[in-house]
Amino acid sequence: MDDYQMEEKTAFIVEEVSKIMKDSVETAIGENSYKHSRVNQWTTSVVEQCLIQLSKLGKPFKYIVNCIIMQKNGAGLQTASTCFWDNNTDGSCTVRWENESMYVIVSVFGLAI
Amino acid sequence: MLNYDTYKRFKISLDFLLKFKYGSGLRNSPVSTGFSLDEQGNIEDPTNTAAVMENTYQLGPSKQFPVSAVSDILKEETNNNLQEVKYEAQRCRELTLTLCEGIRNRVKELLIPRYKTVVLVHIGQLNGQGMQISSRCLWDPSSDTFTSYSFKNSSLFCSATVFGVYFE
Repeated sequence: MDDYQMEEKTAFIVEEVSKIMKDSVETAIGENSYKHSRVNQWTTSVVEQCLIQLSKLGKPFKYIVNCIIMQKNGAGLQTASTCFWDNNTDGSCTVRWENESMYVIVSVFGLAI
Repeated sequence: MLNYDTYKRFKISLDFLLKFKYGSGLRNSPVSTGFSLDEQGNIEDPTNTAAVMENTYQLGPSKQFPVSAVSDILKEETNNNLQEVKYEAQRCRELTLTLCEGIRNRVKELLIPRYKTVVLVHIGQLNGQGMQISSRCLWDPSSDTFTSYSFKNSSLFCSATVFGVYFE
């Protein structure tokens, strides 16, 4: 019982993190249309919101949050990531979100200390 | 009731005993060697089969992440693989993965002790669209770092990033 609780407090839980990421994107961007002048501000606020919420979880992790905002233009984009870490303690989560004028991809990598 | 600390201490001392007795690198690969699972059977946490590291009492990394060497690796890999390539969805999908793994393997060859790496590669088509890629990290800036490289040719662009995170 103790061991399981210890695991809960120190494990990377994908659903929890994915919810945080979706909420950050909704709050920061919502229904806005792609505007080049505002994109910088959007990415910053998405990433900052994510980090603030993640640090509030109080888990012994270092986080890397990556956000891509791309205008819908018919262009293609491929993204890949690979990691050299400990599979038992570390994890990652990627969320894809879109609205009428843009695509947003947010990835979070959590590395145990 | 067994608490986590006692379990950890017991596991470390058990590993030491087994290593001493059998003289093999047991602790480094507890899953691959047969008897480690049997010996720890009744106390083993079924969800955690990670190797338990002994305390080193080290305050920081003995060798810093070699940013310039990794930068060079990124430059070489992207230039070699993407020099005259035209953007095609299927081909670029495979290229992104191969590039990612190629970079990771080369960084692994550098054998930087106690550093975990995350490699991120984006390849996109140039179509006049606007785009922004940004990232932010919550870590220890004295030991952790990143490096990135971006490449462009007539039909595609590529952005590759490597993050190096110290494992305490």
